[in-house]
Amino acid sequence: MTTWAKPFTVAVPDADVERLHAKLELATFPDELDGAGWDYGVPLADIKRLSEYWKNTFDWRKAERSINEIPQFTTDIEVDGFGSLNVHFVHQKSEVENAIPLLFVHGWPGHFLEVRKLLPLLTAGSHDHPAFHVVAPSLPGFGFSEAPGKPGFAGPQFAETFNKLMLSLGYNEYVYQGGDFGHIIGVYVANIYGHKHMKGWLSNMPMYRRPTAFSNPLLFLELLTLPFNKTLRDRIAAVQHLQTTGMGYFNVQATVPQTIGYSLADSPIGLLAWLYEKLYMGVGGYPWTEDEVLEWISIYWFSRAGPGAPARIYYELTGGNSHDLFEGTTWTSVPLGLAWFPQEPVRLPKSWAHMIGKVVFESDHEVGGHFAAFEQPQALVSDLRKMFGKGGPAHGVVPGKDGYQ
Amino acid sequence: MADTTEQPFTVAVSDTDLELLRKKLDLVRLPDELEGAEWNYGVPLADIKRLVAYWKDSFDWRKAEAGINKLPMFTRDIEVDGHGTLNIHYVHQKSEVKNAIPLLFVHGWPGDFLEVKKVLPILTAKSDEHPSFHVVAISLPGFGFSEAPKKPGFAGRQYAEVFNKLMVALGYNEYVYQGGDWGHILGAHAVTHYGHTNIKAWHSNMPFYRAPKFFSNPLLFLGMLTIPFDTVTKTRLAHSMKWQSKGRGYFIEQATQPQTLGYSLSDSPVGLLAWIYEKLVDWSDKYPWTEDEGRLLEWISIYWFSRSGPAAAGRIYYEMTSQNQHDVLEGTKYSSVPLGASYFPGELVRLPKSWTSMLGNVKFEAEHDKGGHFAAYEQPEKLAGDLRKMFGKGGPAHGVVPGKNGYD
Repeated sequence: MTTWAKPFTVAVPDADVERLHAKLELATFPDELDGAGWDYGVPLADIKRLSEYWKNTFDWRKAERSINEIPQFTTDIEVDGFGSLNVHFVHQKSEVENAIPLLFVHGWPGHFLEVRKLLPLLTAGSHDHPAFHVVAPSLPGFGFSEAPGKPGFAGPQFAETFNKLMLSLGYNEYVYQGGDFGHIIGVYVANIYGHKHMKGWLSNMPMYRRPTAFSNPLLFLELLTLPFNKTLRDRIAAVQHLQTTGMGYFNVQATVPQTIGYSLADSPIGLLAWLYEKLYMGVGGYPWTEDEVLEWISIYWFSRAGPGAPARIYYELTGGNSHDLFEGTTWTSVPLGLAWFPQEPVRLPKSWAHMIGKVVFESDHEVGGHFAAFEQPQALVSDLRKMFGKGGPAHGVVPGKDGYQ
Repeated sequence: MADTTEQPFTVAVSDTDLELLRKKLDLVRLPDELEGAEWNYGVPLADIKRLVAYWKDSFDWRKAEAGINKLPMFTRDIEVDGHGTLNIHYVHQKSEVKNAIPLLFVHGWPGDFLEVKKVLPILTAKSDEHPSFHVVAISLPGFGFSEAPKKPGFAGRQYAEVFNKLMVALGYNEYVYQGGDWGHILGAHAVTHYGHTNIKAWHSNMPFYRAPKFFSNPLLFLGMLTIPFDTVTKTRLAHSMKWQSKGRGYFIEQATQPQTLGYSLSDSPVGLLAWIYEKLVDWSDKYPWTEDEGRLLEWISIYWFSRSGPAAAGRIYYEMTSQNQHDVLEGTKYSSVPLGASYFPGELVRLPKSWTSMLGNVKFEAEHDKGGHFAAYEQPEKLAGDLRKMFGKGGPAHGVVPGKNGYD
């Protein structure tokens, strides 16, 4: 089953660019408490600065031209029960014929361009490290992919879409890299297509369920050591703080994505604030430039399905906040690599990651946060090279494509 | 001590602000929607399309404004310990009855001072058959036409202080209190600080407190064990659990990142409309908003044209929970001030009625078969009727305010 992919270029209509500017001209800002800093959300000074830049300085057409230097395509993927979805993706082949096919999946509020800095590194051939053919789709409903039209497009559907995408490109067997929803969908891909098609994967946000006495007695017992285990205590305290103060967006999007969608589709500064909060808080000091931020937000603003659609992934994957993100999945023996970045906000005890799958590789980094591919491309590439390269624990998992000439 | 800061107040939105709203409505960009979504994912697109068109083409703000300005409204400066001076907006309607009972009516979110509109003529009416009230309906700081606090930390004690200073400044050293939503919660705070000394009785149409704990309320706690066999209580709790799992997004966002949300609400009229309309529908008892769209858009417009802007109001959730670290009743204490409770079936949180006794000294209870969260607006006769029964001759709180029992 092969469908022909069509080349794609980003080409936002003039009318849409003009409307963005017309809205920015009319932007009205809220007040702010004295000395609020980041305590109540994104500071007013930041939003004003970014909004001014967006209105007066940011050059979307220049950004668009640069994005279009990346080889992009669209193809129709038939998803069981959902008809045909037109999926947008980056596809960069390596010169190395037996390069390892790699599927790179972004999350929220991420997008396909998070692969950008990885591309030249991953596709480069060398005796010293493996090369990859890289496929980086826009999630359905994000970027330039069509959104599903009906309720119920959840983990298995995302997995099906991406597996079919890889098969359509002739990659019957492949490896996978993701964080955020890229990680979560990776769990589904491993569960449904593991071994048969997906041969190994690396996650930069290793997260799964909490251990219970019945599911994981040893890990559960480890929790009893909490009073004596400061590292474990600190990690759990940090996650609890995130749970208490940082889950508003999750709860809103998992229960009423349509309601918040009206704001995100209609207000550029509303969208900017909603996303920038995560860009800032997820990275621990990455020096975002105005251009980086505004290109990022503009992808959401100009996205094919509009800025209201992405939020629905939270609803669909939690059944409207009635269950966790991993419904129906279990541990798999597909080789799993874990990349730990210190500023990743979702940092659960490392031992819990062994509940996801068969851990064959782990790396611990000194720098970097949630958007690892964007912030620390070299580190993430290095992990992939170590995991899948000669001497690595997942070397040769894709038969006939070990990444070397 | 004469207070000279009281000024009569009229709502007077500038032409520039009206024009800006119109321009934004002209540029509205709407999201897509899933097939068959209805209310499952939030407010339906068809509703928003209809309401935006109405707002843009038919709704007459100046006419609404003129109607609002028929109410006797004022502003005055209130000094709040540690927060400087806040200019507070309120409705103040006196009854013909000289000894009418002074009553402070407090709204919540996403409510406003206008929720008092329908009960006002009923409460202030003179009759031998029922008591009369002098009514003060405040705009909470940060809502309507009251100034917003400028510094962090404006919480229960501060709101109580504003209420009490306002009533005392109006000459009502002793008064009674009515509220739902934040009006209820702040009532518990007000009574903690000013109960008996100033607040002689209070009434809530959203009576809730914390769940009983074994050590503090053993009998009520044990009562929870019978819940599986008590259909009435089970139904009430099931209704509350639905809000707990499906309807709390707004609460958590406003309690943790109100500024982030605030950019949307300040910049997008349709975003604000959806955010508030969702609750007006979800929380009312099938109120026929389609027949009252003028009032609906007036409601949203109050938020849009509010003195501090639409983002300020949400901060009450943050301040009252210290960014979601504790519950909203933190700092309140049980008070023996007489309490009245009215139970409306559409109310979003419905707990076992026995738990109300942990909230205060329950002297009056009424259960209704119609009406929801916005009781004063949806069922004004029922709510006013409850207050008349509670405070009238033969009622359990009759004469609580010395010399002002509601009859001449």
